[in-house]
Amino acid sequence: MKIDRRVLINFDWVIPLLILSLCAVGLVNLYSACSSVSNGNTTAFYLKQLYWIGLGLVAMILCFAVDYRLIVRYGYVLYGISVALLALLFVYGEITHGSQRWLVLGGFSFQPSELVKLTMILALTKYIDERNVGTAFSLPALLGPFLIVMLPALLILKQPDLGTALFLVLLFVSIILFAGIRMRAFVEMCVAGIALLPVLWFAMKDYQKERLIMLINPERDPLGAGYHIIQSIIAVGSGGLLGKGYLKGTQSQLKFLPEQQTDFVFSVFAEEWGFVGVVFVLLLFLSLILWSLNIGRRARDFSGVLLAFGATMIFFWGVFINIGMILGVLPVVGIPLPLMSYGGSCLVVLMMAAGLLMNISMRRFVLKS
Amino acid sequence: MANRHGKLNRQEPSDFRGRFVVAGCIVFFAFFLLLGRVWYLQVLKGGELRERSENNRIRVQEIKPLRGLILDSQRNILVDNNASFDIALIPDEAGSVDGVIASLRNLYEERNIAYTGVPDPPMVRKRFLPVTLERDVTWDKLALVEMNSTMLPGIIIDVVPVRNYTMGPALAHVLGYVGEISLNELLSPTYREYRSGSLVGKAGIEKVMDRRLRGKSGGAQVEVNVAGQVIDVLARIDPKPGCNVVTTLDRDLQQVCWDSFDKPAGAVVVMDPSDGSILAMVSKPSFDSNLFNRGINAMDWEKFSTDSMAPFKNRAVSGLYPPASLFKLIIAAASLDRGLITGDETIFCRGAITLGDRDFRCWKREGHGALDLHQAIVQSCDVFFYTLGLQLGIDDIAEYAVQFGLGVPTGIDMPGERGGLVPTSAWKRERFGEPWQRGETVSVSIGQGFLNATPLQLARAFSAIANGGTLYKPRIIRQIESSSGEVLEVFPARTQGHLPLSQGHLDRLKKALYGAVNEPRGTGRALRREERDVFGKTGTAQVISMPDDDDEESEKTETPFRFRDHALFVCSVPYDDPRITVMVVAEHGGHGGSAAAPIARKIVDWYMEHRPPVDVSAVDGGTPGGES
Repeated sequence: MKIDRRVLINFDWVIPLLILSLCAVGLVNLYSACSSVSNGNTTAFYLKQLYWIGLGLVAMILCFAVDYRLIVRYGYVLYGISVALLALLFVYGEITHGSQRWLVLGGFSFQPSELVKLTMILALTKYIDERNVGTAFSLPALLGPFLIVMLPALLILKQPDLGTALFLVLLFVSIILFAGIRMRAFVEMCVAGIALLPVLWFAMKDYQKERLIMLINPERDPLGAGYHIIQSIIAVGSGGLLGKGYLKGTQSQLKFLPEQQTDFVFSVFAEEWGFVGVVFVLLLFLSLILWSLNIGRRARDFSGVLLAFGATMIFFWGVFINIGMILGVLPVVGIPLPLMSYGGSCLVVLMMAAGLLMNISMRRFVLKS
Repeated sequence: MANRHGKLNRQEPSDFRGRFVVAGCIVFFAFFLLLGRVWYLQVLKGGELRERSENNRIRVQEIKPLRGLILDSQRNILVDNNASFDIALIPDEAGSVDGVIASLRNLYEERNIAYTGVPDPPMVRKRFLPVTLERDVTWDKLALVEMNSTMLPGIIIDVVPVRNYTMGPALAHVLGYVGEISLNELLSPTYREYRSGSLVGKAGIEKVMDRRLRGKSGGAQVEVNVAGQVIDVLARIDPKPGCNVVTTLDRDLQQVCWDSFDKPAGAVVVMDPSDGSILAMVSKPSFDSNLFNRGINAMDWEKFSTDSMAPFKNRAVSGLYPPASLFKLIIAAASLDRGLITGDETIFCRGAITLGDRDFRCWKREGHGALDLHQAIVQSCDVFFYTLGLQLGIDDIAEYAVQFGLGVPTGIDMPGERGGLVPTSAWKRERFGEPWQRGETVSVSIGQGFLNATPLQLARAFSAIANGGTLYKPRIIRQIESSSGEVLEVFPARTQGHLPLSQGHLDRLKKALYGAVNEPRGTGRALRREERDVFGKTGTAQVISMPDDDDEESEKTETPFRFRDHALFVCSVPYDDPRITVMVVAEHGGHGGSAAAPIARKIVDWYMEHRPPVDVSAVDGGTPGGES
């Protein structure tokens, strides 16, 4: 593999710039979110996050150094490895908060369900690129992609982590709609989905049903999720136009959220930086997403197009669901905010996705020839 | 989106450009929505929400459900709930936790009241939930705290329902007690839906029926102002009270059993032989379940847990005793059923049998002379049953013992039930790697040796003889009712097997048991009532095996307590249509006829006087013909 000089000339500076800006904002915010958690190892959180950013940069470089077509070619292998890791969880997984999500490898704990988001997109890209480009999906043709998604989604559901499982399905639906689907197949898919709901409902155990109801209607659990939503809304709202100032958020400093360094990290930010801060961060995210979509738009081959779109969707859905959740308009499903929430595996995977986007961006001229 | 339906021509990547634009628009729109919501919250409602964040607090109150009642069969209350008051602290509202605790202590010191709570309450993750400081406080403390509430920000008074066990130690083993869920329980899948800090049944019916009794917590989100007063209830879910458990017990009979049992240790089981219902169950020594209500104090716990008499053990279902002479009934049944005897032939007892170079004595040294089965049971002759046992062999004996319900737990709804042991030659080989000895069969023939059983198993086996051969599953829960009285679940009587005996053989046994109580030479003379309606069997279980040793009959007052024999007695009454079976085990009580039977006598007398049969025609409890 020879590296074309044009690849370096066309290096995409915008993506790393935006990614690092968001990481920096996230790090600063994480310091505040953790300063209130009064158990000794508070510093550990943002320091650890800093290490993860370093590790993410390395992963990012690896992801743009190798031609993305080569990476896509090994899509199934990478997908297979990450699904195997998921399955391995049931044997070696660490249990936290009642679910088995973590794999511990030499001191580092790692969440295979994050990795699978990316490798699933690689596998879907390869599958669609080889078989379905140019033909809008019919229902039978959807079977392959469907299986690719459902295998990890079911494994994740078993952990149990409903939020991430739904996230995979959401990615799948976006990509299929984007790749093109026949109207009839689309209607059939919707009907099948709706018809399957009651079946699923009866197959579920009582406590699972209860959990699902809670998800849709958190007010039913005023001691748990419902409380957090109200507190989150108060936190965001009390930030006002200009915010209460860094490290001065009363709602967040009062440690009302058990997950304020992860899922609810943005309510801390919104309280302390106000509307102005929120607009700033939303603009950063919007720029990142639109820029990424533009990379896809300019890509010269199908795998580039699909991969760019998929990678972008990881960012988009993460931002939309998480912020929607802390604003009280979407259910609390436990999806972290990309780049700002504490969490190593999530961060590294997102930076890998960013690396792939740069990869596609840099190689568009090479491919032209 | 050109070429959407093109099947033959592959699309160009450039064909997707339009779709990227569409996607971009959707993203833009989504962000616009989010921004709109932020604008609404932060700019339009910002002032209001800021005020709320500064002046007001949302507080979460858990509303604990009332635990279900436990009732006896006549719906007398065995367990209900009382109110107890806790002083708790909400860390979020206290400002300085240490400061508030200090002012609370000062307040107490002024009145010379001791602060009994934790000096440093553990810091928890949910700082908006109350941490209990002092449990079960007295009225003077309560009044003091209430009056000075403005000086004590974050201090609240929690009303906690506590269990009230109306019978105290008399029923402690059956009802059990409740306590805070332990870490081990929390981690086990059985308790998946329990939270830390929740109360859970730890023993007895409280444990077995916990899921039914506990009910479901409700909760409320309330908004309080700086003074801690509730100004708005944002959401509320009512708690669901637990279900009531109706048992088969008879409270008064239980009390009589407890009062009658005057020995330091042992058990009483009273069963209705017609369906296996438990009417009373006593285990001694006991404890008071009420002590556990608000967490048992360390001293009491120390006292109980180190007590060598194991007061927590429910001896009725977990105590293993040699069935002693009670087992002769099973040998008799096996011999009759196998056709070894018809019952009329006699065996001569010279006071011992010799096996190899060893003598196995009868309890009566001078021997009983020639007796038939009837007299052998009446006088509880050992030699008679040694002889039969040897002819049957251990494996046949075991087969019959199992059919009488020994060797496996009965399946009663009580935690910690044990199954006892019915030895076989295969068992011995596996356990010790040695073949079975005939001498061991001799021991088993009179219910000694490796053999042991729980009082409950023995009561059930005897009930089966009394009721004409049906082995019932012992039943202690009659039904479950909702708090409003609706019957949710009924526990019917369940048959677990039938004795392998013909009616004729059963009658023969029953008649002999009648003789054991009512004939002049019977070992159970203590139960010989004016009405002549009791039939039963004594047993004296050797604690240390001394097959060749002293006279079993002699009073053992000089023997150290722990080496004294266990006294057993079981009987049913009335003869024709038995309504109760009473099983008594007095640990180290001495002889069954003199130590256990008088206890049974008191129970039977009380029952027959105070619990007349509902059916008038059955009052006239007939007696069998020949009495001597």
